[in-house]
Amino acid sequence: MICSAADREPLEQTRRRVFLALFTALAVALHTLEALWPAPAPWFRLGLANILSLVALFLYGGQAAWTVSLGRVLLGSLLLGRLFTPGFWLALGGAVVATLVMVVAHRLAPRRLGPIGVSALGAAGHALGQMTVAWLVLVRHPGLWQLFPLLLLVAVVAGMLTGWAAAVLLERLESHEAFRKAG
Amino acid sequence: MNFLWRRMTAADRLVVAGLMAAAVAGIAWVAAAPPGRRVVAGDGERVLFVAPLEQPREVELAGPLGPTRLMIDQQGARITASPCALKVCMGMGPARRPGDLLVCLPNRILVQVEGEAEESAPYDLLSR
Repeated sequence: MICSAADREPLEQTRRRVFLALFTALAVALHTLEALWPAPAPWFRLGLANILSLVALFLYGGQAAWTVSLGRVLLGSLLLGRLFTPGFWLALGGAVVATLVMVVAHRLAPRRLGPIGVSALGAAGHALGQMTVAWLVLVRHPGLWQLFPLLLLVAVVAGMLTGWAAAVLLERLESHEAFRKAG
Repeated sequence: MNFLWRRMTAADRLVVAGLMAAAVAGIAWVAAAPPGRRVVAGDGERVLFVAPLEQPREVELAGPLGPTRLMIDQQGARITASPCALKVCMGMGPARRPGDLLVCLPNRILVQVEGEAEESAPYDLLSR
């Protein structure tokens, strides 16, 4: 990236846009890869793409996290041919609730909660969002909610692992010149 | 686990412990729910078979592909044989709590465990 040292504001804005685009592209790639990867159950996924939403949240704030999360669901579903299918609504419901929970948690306790805690909360929100959409759109059966505790347990473990990956990535990025200035 | 622990703040640990405790309590609560009272099998339009859950028995339910074998024992109701291709219904395991459902979509068999609420309903049929 080439820019004059005098144009500090436009440089930061452009840099932020470029990195957000890269984060979204990486999130779409991980979302697509994970959807193609065999899973023991349809809901048993790590949610690797959420690493990029977390990184965007910790580096650039809530709006950036929304951009990466929603961009990832829309573009990922478009690539997989799942746009507006039941799977798309499940992914969107999970992503909306997860991002909302993560943004609120990060805003309430920006220093106390690290990426692992925020990610675990987001994963729990994701499970809740998916379950609510499944209940509203797909299966109005009371037995569905009996699955929720197991889904929550799997989600929290997955959320801790993706949170750890985000923490490692953040440490590397924040030591880089480009992100030290942006942060 | 040390790699996770090192990067967690005190608040992170509290949040994770709270969520884990909620999940484990939920699993225990679901597992401790009282078993249902009866097994109702149907094809989505009509009831094919109704039996109490506490009496062991084995029955064949006729579907468009052939007979689906339903077994009721101490573990609950489960499908032990099915003419469908993928045998997903057999992999569902036993159903014993009210609301548990076993479904074989290719052979159009739905087996549901019902509890007290359905049994004590004050009506036989609702129509609009």
